[in-house]
This record gives sequence, C-alpha cells and structure tokens, in this order.
Amino acid sequence: MPTLEMRLQRYRPEQDSAPHWQDFRVEYDDSTSVLDALEQIKAEQDSSLSYRWSCRMAICGSCGIMVNGVPKLGCKTFLRDYPKGLQLAPLGNFPVEKDLIVDMSRFLEHLTAIKPYLIAEAAPQGQPHRQTPAQLARYKQFSNCINCGLCYAACPQFGLKPDFLGPAAIALAHRYNLDSRDSGKAERMAQLNSDNGVWGCTFVGYCSTVCPKGVDPAAAVNQGKIASTLDGVIQWFKPAKEPRNKEQSK
Amino acid sequence: MSRKPYQPPMPASWWLKHPAYRFYMLREATVVPLLFFVASLLYGLYALGQGEASWLHYLAWLQQPWVIALNSLALVASLFHAWTFFALFPQVMPLRFGSRTLPAWLMVSAQWAGVLLVILALWWLLGGVDAHQ
Repeated sequence: MPTLEMRLQRYRPEQDSAPHWQDFRVEYDDSTSVLDALEQIKAEQDSSLSYRWSCRMAICGSCGIMVNGVPKLGCKTFLRDYPKGLQLAPLGNFPVEKDLIVDMSRFLEHLTAIKPYLIAEAAPQGQPHRQTPAQLARYKQFSNCINCGLCYAACPQFGLKPDFLGPAAIALAHRYNLDSRDSGKAERMAQLNSDNGVWGCTFVGYCSTVCPKGVDPAAAVNQGKIASTLDGVIQWFKPAKEPRNKEQSK
Repeated sequence: MSRKPYQPPMPASWWLKHPAYRFYMLREATVVPLLFFVASLLYGLYALGQGEASWLHYLAWLQQPWVIALNSLALVASLFHAWTFFALFPQVMPLRFGSRTLPAWLMVSAQWAGVLLVILALWWLLGGVDAHQ
C-alpha cells in the first residue's frame, strides 16, 4: 500500500503555549479520506491526537479542517488528490481548543441570534402549511447548510471582526426570511441591518467557494443587503410611533 | 478542568495566503487608479473655469506619457472591476420566473451588451461632433 506524508498541527493546552507541527506517514488507497487517515494515526501512531467527526458522509458538519490552508470537510477530502502530501490544521479564524478541535461557540451564538427556525402563525384550522414548488425553490438552496463552519474559516471579515454574524448565520436568516411559511422576518432584520449583519460583508466570495453543500452564502448575504436596504426604506416612510428596530435590538 | 484556547493571529498579510484573497484585493485596488482619473477630471473642470490659457495647459498636461499611462491603467482597472461586478450580479439579484432562475451567463451577457450599446452610442455622439467640425 502506498504511503503519504501528513503534517498535523498539534496544540496541547496543558503543555503548549502555541501550536506546533508534527509529521506522520499514513497508508492510503483511492478511498482513503482525510478523516480515515486521522483515525489511522489515532489508532496506530498517537492516541492523544484530538479531532472532531461523526457521520463520515458530509451531513453532520463536524469534521471541518484546514487542508493545505483550505477549509474542507475531512470526510469529503481524499488523500489521492494530494500526491505531494498534506498539511492539516484546525479551522481558521476560530480559537483552537486542542489539536484539530476549535471552539465554535462564537458561530453558534451568531446562529442563535438570527433565530434560524420557522416563526409561523398557526396554519388555518390545524391544516399543514402548504407551499408550492416555486415557493420552495426560493429558499431551498440556502436550507442545505450543515453548520460546518468552513465559510467562517474562509471569511477574512469574520477573522478580522469576530462579531460579524458571518456567512452561514446570515444565509440561514435569509433562508427563513424567504420561506413563505415564516413570518419572523421583522425579528431578524434588526440583526441583519446592523454593522455586524449583512453590511459587514465586503463580498470576498470565498465562503461560497469552500461551501461543501453548494449553499452559496455570499449570494445570501448580498441578497440580504438588498432586503436590508428595502427594510430601511420602509422604516423611513413608516409612522414614528413604532420604533421596531430599537425595541428588538435591546 | 481549565481551558486555554489558542487564538490564531490575523496578520496584516492575511490576503497573501490564498489566490481568492489576492483576487479580491486586486478587485478592491482598482479604486486607486480610478481616484487618479477622477482627480484629473476635476482638474479639467477647474481649468475650464479658469479660462482658455488654463484649459490649453490642462490639455497639454493630459498628453504627457505618464498621465496617459495612468489613465489607461484606470480604464483597464474599471473594465476589470466591471467584469467582476457583472459576474457577481446574478448572485446578488437572481431573476426568478416561477421556480426557475434566469441563467447567470444570460445576465452577464446582457450586462456586456449594455456596455457595448453605451460605447456605440458614445462613438456615434462623438463621431457626430467630428462631422460638424
């Protein structure tokens, strides 16, 4: 079986003040994923290696990792595509907890803030909410997000300003705002309108390139800028007795 | 158990790390030569207000090789920026008809067709000026 050189970023919080590199050599064939290789290292070479994984089929979004500096899912990236060897590091722009594990709580806070769930009034007479294929098509692409965080590792704005809501959270907000069954848009706009909302994005666009599910968060964020502008214009012409945005940003 | 997360630094050179970032910075940098173009345009307006001698001096200044070079760079930069802008447009404003979206290539082509129309209109207008001289 052929072997491949792998350089892993290690960080042991109890001993290290900063991460360092460690080299490993793994056996691989055409079907060996980066995640398989990590399991091989942990089982046969160094049991102290820490990394996250769960479903092994690009659904759970747990195994996000930097492969040669590019955000990837470990389970969806194959050693056969890196004949010169590869370098693995934890997802960029997040604090590193240990080895290849990052602390994603900042992303999860942003995700919670935009209320990524249906805020719907009850369907008439207990009937299910009906939706036409055309209504579904408006948001379907943005509903494929698996919260893996690759887009945050790709986003320099999030790296420079961690308070920026970021690609996935805004894409999810946009997804629910576009859903014909949802009536919670007013509750999300205060977040999206802020400096840390859609306007924090400068359309680098790399988030959409690295997205493993074809969500195109850059499109969602920049469509959100149009929605935010329209929302602002509507606020402008509304009677002043209902300061909607102020109340919600509290 | 205490935690000690390591916060990776974000150096000023972050944009050199990946071709996608370098492309983005190049796109944003197109504003620099355009600033020169705008400045020379304002200078021209000012010269026009100062009288004929000043205007002729401005025309001579415009014909210097370095001014021509910088303005040519501004033209190339604005065309490059337009190219990136047109390509991003279908992402920002997808046109939907029922459950279908207008293909991106069609939207991009339509924008370039618009540019061509404007160029033709300008060419026709300026050609008209020449014909009267």
